[in-house]
Amino acid sequence: MVRIIQQRGKCIGCNACVEADAFRWRISRHDGKCTLVHGVEKKGFFGVVVGDEELESSLAAAHNCPVNIIKVQKVS
Amino acid sequence: MAPVGSFESLWAAIHAGADSIYFGIEQLNMRARSIANFTIDDLSEITAICLENKVKSYLTLNTILYDHDINLMRRVVDAAKANWIDAIIASDYAVLNYANKIGVEVHISTQANVSNIDTVEFFAAFADVVVLARELSLLQVASISREIKRRNITGPSGKLMKLELFAHGALCMAISGKCYLSLHSDFASANRGACVQNCRRSYIVTDKEQGIEFEVDNEYIMSAKDLCTIDFLDEMIQAGVTVLKIEGRGRSADYVHTTISCYREAIDAYMEGTYHKDKVVAWKDRLSTVFNRGFWDGYYLGRKMGEWSNVYGSKATKKKIYLGKGIKYFQKAAAAEFKLEAFGLQVGDDILITGPKTGVLQTTVKEIRVNDVSCLSASKGDAVSIALEHKIRRSDKLYKFVDS
Repeated sequence: MVRIIQQRGKCIGCNACVEADAFRWRISRHDGKCTLVHGVEKKGFFGVVVGDEELESSLAAAHNCPVNIIKVQKVS
Repeated sequence: MAPVGSFESLWAAIHAGADSIYFGIEQLNMRARSIANFTIDDLSEITAICLENKVKSYLTLNTILYDHDINLMRRVVDAAKANWIDAIIASDYAVLNYANKIGVEVHISTQANVSNIDTVEFFAAFADVVVLARELSLLQVASISREIKRRNITGPSGKLMKLELFAHGALCMAISGKCYLSLHSDFASANRGACVQNCRRSYIVTDKEQGIEFEVDNEYIMSAKDLCTIDFLDEMIQAGVTVLKIEGRGRSADYVHTTISCYREAIDAYMEGTYHKDKVVAWKDRLSTVFNRGFWDGYYLGRKMGEWSNVYGSKATKKKIYLGKGIKYFQKAAAAEFKLEAFGLQVGDDILITGPKTGVLQTTVKEIRVNDVSCLSASKGDAVSIALEHKIRRSDKLYKFVDS
């Protein structure tokens, strides 16, 4: 399994993560920041655990992020 | 016009004599990467401080905008209107269009790269003030200024268009902000305020055939020196520029304080007819004590193409080291108490106090008291009292200047 974490407050809304993984990331038209689909908030950090099939695209999203607010961890 | 990236800088700008300030909120400004960006909720406090101190406030909203940014942009412009912000600094037509619809004044950002009189005429339908491209020469600026009067180009207010120009601060190696270097290397678009400043680094050139590496010696070839116009400020003003803008929303409060006070003195001296080359030397000395990459006169004098910095980071002649934090201010005794957490302090040291309510205070230590006993120096761990005329607060930090 893979855990994806996003520090949403620091998002600058550049759309780079959506370009990498449009299934997991949606840009919000409300505040222009990116939303982690099914992410659950805890003290400003949004997290979700997904299947291994999303590892590659999640890593691409994290790599694309210009402000380094996306972290991807392998969990058992 | 002073750059403001924090409440410390805001107070520093006001105390140093700025006529106006500019700042960004949320992510749609050219310093989106900065750690301390203001939010929409800070707007009311900023305008309250500005109104009270009779300083005009301008809000930057000058990144490239995508469809998903439009709602946030509208909310920011609405909030600016509700909070009596004097104008929005913008380059994207969506902002011009919306701000005009709801009656908020707009200034055209340098991101729009306005470089000729016909473009000024075009923007006159939307804005009263245009920030000209930093790549123009003063001859070109003077010609634009003359033509505004000759053609009687007026903005929405009915008054003649005003010209604003960057007077001091960092320059871009590309035409103001139109750079993709950072996007290619780090997916971080400079035009969304996320520039990672690759141009400020040094580089190695590799010979593809033999793999020999040459370090590009001596120069950070893409890192332009900082713009400084204080030695030809008279020519800047005579060219018809009415607003002089200082760059540096990402820089510290003491940078704001020093640059604003130097340019304030220089402008006042010009107006009084006492602007003199001797004074320029003193101002330049002071300007070089805060963050800079070395100075040059940009493209305004049109002499020489790019001058490049030979250092990474700052060439400031002084650096500040953190000493400790504020504890209490004694009004009657006019003394401030600090806790020294990192280093000691001596009589004669040049100190700097910064804080979100205090702004920037710079002074020389005349007397130190530890446990109510006067002494020549205090060491780390001591709680010291220093004679000080200005109030300090618990949120303030104490620094000492040392030569770098």
